[in-house]
Amino acid sequence: MARDSRHGLNRRLRVNPVACDGVGICGHLAAELVRFDSWGYPIVTERALDQRDLNRATAAVAACPKRALFIQDSRY
Amino acid sequence: MSASLRLVRQPGHGAGKVASDFSPLLGDAVRYAVDGTAAITRVTADDLAGHVRRFGDRPRATGGAGTELVDTLEEIGLSGRGGSHFPAATKWRAHLAAGGGGVVVANGAESEPASAKDTALMQLRPHLILDGLACAAEAVGAVDAVLWLHGGAHAARSSMVRALGERRAARLPDPAIRLAVGPDHYLSGESSAIVNALSGRPALPGFTTRPAAVSGVHGMPTLLHNVETLARTALAARTGAAHHQGTSLLTVADETGRTVVEVAPSTPLGEVIEAVSANRLAGGEQAVLIGGFGGSWLTWDAAALLPADENYLRAQGISLGAGVLLPVPDDACGIAVVARIADFLAASSARQCGPCLFGLRALADGTAELARGQSSRRDSRRLSLFLAQTVGRGACNHPDGSVRMIESALATFAADVESHRRRGSCLHPGSARSFPIPEPV
Repeated sequence: MARDSRHGLNRRLRVNPVACDGVGICGHLAAELVRFDSWGYPIVTERALDQRDLNRATAAVAACPKRALFIQDSRY
Repeated sequence: MSASLRLVRQPGHGAGKVASDFSPLLGDAVRYAVDGTAAITRVTADDLAGHVRRFGDRPRATGGAGTELVDTLEEIGLSGRGGSHFPAATKWRAHLAAGGGGVVVANGAESEPASAKDTALMQLRPHLILDGLACAAEAVGAVDAVLWLHGGAHAARSSMVRALGERRAARLPDPAIRLAVGPDHYLSGESSAIVNALSGRPALPGFTTRPAAVSGVHGMPTLLHNVETLARTALAARTGAAHHQGTSLLTVADETGRTVVEVAPSTPLGEVIEAVSANRLAGGEQAVLIGGFGGSWLTWDAAALLPADENYLRAQGISLGAGVLLPVPDDACGIAVVARIADFLAASSARQCGPCLFGLRALADGTAELARGQSSRRDSRRLSLFLAQTVGRGACNHPDGSVRMIESALATFAADVESHRRRGSCLHPGSARSFPIPEPV
């Protein structure tokens, strides 16, 4: 499991399903982290993000027009 | 009522404090007609004097007594009886660790259509619930104590309002308790929906990253418990851990109505159902839905000998949930019942999260095709895909419960599913007798 050794944190990409309208930009910017269900809504990876993932995830978070994506820090 | 059913009975009146080694909430069974308006059993609420005779005065829970009460709740392993069975003491400690104060909520919005235990408690033991709410408010130093009800729960509301009035008139040393009434929707008893409503937002589930005990109503720590959990808290405050022995409060729902029974946790589920269900007269049961509409199906043979013990069941991957037992008789098509419940759950979606809005409808359509015998191999592969794509995808657990109900049904009614698919015929033709699934609000 990837760990950010500087902070001792795990970072995960998460989606707020209430805010998400399935616009789909995240799938273009972070294809390795996001796939889509039968109705066009994103299913985001549950794995902890490494540095390369983090760059893509940050781009997806910034581009989401519904502000439905975020990166969550957790200490385990 | 079968004589073999070990119903927990009340110790005699006038005993003052509960000193017996079991802690009954209701004692005798309570029956409700299908429409829920008329109780078949004559229901008489404990008035304040009767309540004090039966249980004794409410112990205070301020200061050290509050700390002691949290320890007691931990020792007896009291879990949330709204359905989640989350340890109560863990919530209280999280609330206190977040600074205490804030809000306490007694959740009496009994959304499960097949459940009646909360209604029975509110009608018969309103003061025990209010005792629990008052103790919780004192223990965490809450600035607001709320009783949350469905707008349509008229009998429960009038009973609770009468009880609140009695307490005020008697000048009991209670924190101020106010009543808040929400919509009758299936999800308005969901904890984040209650937090939203009490914060001035629509009573719909919300997406949260922090528990309500840390950040709830208006961002304040919020301790939210089902009314049964609070009634049990009030009992535990009186008995302490040493004299405590828990019971299980269950609702058996069949086509004739709902019966609330209180049993010792060792009582087999089959015994509970056979004692109160009318289905027995018509050739026995085929399967049981345990927990509620978002619960798990088991065949009768698998369910009958299981004890009404949440801890035991949890180890088997089953939960009593809100305490609902919904038996389906041998002469009813289980898949037809599943399809009707799946339709109710889809229609009850708050329509906020895409995977719930579209996923539950796809699942309901898939089970309806199966019930009609119009489901091909390809359709069943699609149903499996939709189940996998729906679970865990909502802000609340509504989609998860729906998936659990359908997945367990496909396993429980496997032979019937196969027959519906291959021959378009049913192994249990006959009337579709079972608990009537209401129109979603």
